[in-house]
Amino acid sequence: MDIVRTHSLGKRYDTHTVVDDVNLRIPEGCVYGFLGPNGSGKSTTMKMLLSLIRPTSGEVEILGMSMNHDTRRELLSHIGSLIESPPGYGHLTGAENLRIVQRSLGLHAAQIERAVATVRLQEHLDKRVKNYSLGMKQRLGIAMALAREPRLLILDEPTNGLDPAGIEEIRGLLRHLAEHGVTVMVSSHLLGEIDKTANMLGILSQGRLIFQGTRDELFAASTPDVLIDAIDPLRASSVLQQKIPVQIDDHTLRLSGIDDRGTAQVVTELVGANAGVYGVRREDQSLEDVFMNLTKGGRL
Amino acid sequence: MTTVRNEFAKLRHLHIGAIAALLVAAIVGLTFVGALTAATSNDSTVVSWALPLAGLSLAVPIASPLLIAVMASRTVEVEHQSNGWLSNQTQGADRGALVRAKLVSTGLVVGGATVAASAAGVFLGTAIGVDQPLPAGLWLGYTAAAVTANLVILGLHLLISARVDNQLVALGVGIVGTVIAICASGFPSWAAHLTPWGYYSLASAADYRGEQVVTLNPSYASIVALGVVGAVLFWFTTVRLDRQEVRA
Repeated sequence: MDIVRTHSLGKRYDTHTVVDDVNLRIPEGCVYGFLGPNGSGKSTTMKMLLSLIRPTSGEVEILGMSMNHDTRRELLSHIGSLIESPPGYGHLTGAENLRIVQRSLGLHAAQIERAVATVRLQEHLDKRVKNYSLGMKQRLGIAMALAREPRLLILDEPTNGLDPAGIEEIRGLLRHLAEHGVTVMVSSHLLGEIDKTANMLGILSQGRLIFQGTRDELFAASTPDVLIDAIDPLRASSVLQQKIPVQIDDHTLRLSGIDDRGTAQVVTELVGANAGVYGVRREDQSLEDVFMNLTKGGRL
Repeated sequence: MTTVRNEFAKLRHLHIGAIAALLVAAIVGLTFVGALTAATSNDSTVVSWALPLAGLSLAVPIASPLLIAVMASRTVEVEHQSNGWLSNQTQGADRGALVRAKLVSTGLVVGGATVAASAAGVFLGTAIGVDQPLPAGLWLGYTAAAVTANLVILGLHLLISARVDNQLVALGVGIVGTVIAICASGFPSWAAHLTPWGYYSLASAADYRGEQVVTLNPSYASIVALGVVGAVLFWFTTVRLDRQEVRA
């Protein structure tokens, strides 16, 4: 079952389209990595999921209910979130901040204690939040989001500004939450930050969802460049230049965006032209390369 | 009710109590200095309740606008600094609801301070030797009028502080308000009605007429109108804030 579904979701400010025709499908119990460069519309999409921003088109469906003004309060009681900078009143202690959340949401003390234990913040609760490190603020923010024992947790770039140890700690926390049945949607502009944690990926570029699926599906959907080694690369290039853009690097020709059938056709032509073909392969690509290629061109 | 309780919790460590105490001290101090100066320079052996009332009517507009602006600003600034607006919205409390709760919590502090300063004026009158019966109706009427004006100004400042992130703007408005409040006693009545700070002069219960201090009837109708219009505008503005989207 999908815990989040959006139907042609869009947001436009005057003539500027920020989010365009986004159809999210987030299965329950997964860690959904929501990726895209800065300014691609990730935060706006997440704010629309939380009904903090009204969509100009489309609809948000969470837990099978349409998210709107009437259902918002009920649905928000099942959704924890950390959007933009971590929350927490700096002049109050961590414990005082959590008491405010407890009162707001009508929670039991035990729920707060469990959330604090999950983020391992017990020893810092009596400190004022203004004296917290960024990592501690993030953990407090996550504890505030977790206190209501949500079914869905929405985290907007939770690793921003954290050191490698802090990033690893957040990754571990996300894995722990997913193991305990919480669906986590986490955004980042860096694939490497959530690649190891997320089992579903959504990639947003210029406001459009250009990919959604598993890591393996992402690999399968991308088309790495074809590299052809030839004894006479100039002759090979002249044969192909009328038909396909070719880059020459020493004795290797690089051809972009051609499928297996196209590759076979190219090889036949080069062999016919006596270009001395002695090697044909696809370039090795990391997931990061796939992501960069996708978001650079805004295409799959 | 929960939101109001939370607002009281947020007031901790913000020194709002200390600023309220400063407001009381400033009003009482200015009233004391004014009343004592007038009492010692007056040849008449009879000292009336008009003296401390005139002192209060002068001290409240001098001390209140800026200190109320500071209290409102401190109460709201914590939301800007801590991502509080957004965090509360994700818990179901919209921006307008928070501002309304802040009016209740900080309003109780401001209202309490104004009543305390007014009550201190009674002790002050007794201390400087007023032995006439206390004009309780006038005193209570003035106190209610001063509380109303202060609450309207508090509401205005909460809205300004909520709308404009830079709290220097709100404090600047507080300074301008102080100047208007002080000068308003010299304004014609219609001009005093134009800004909320002008209503302090309409609430005056006593004033100097040459060498004499005389009691006045506060313009209760104007103060009631200020309260009603202020409440309606505050309500509509906060409802609009409730509907406002967060920034993309």
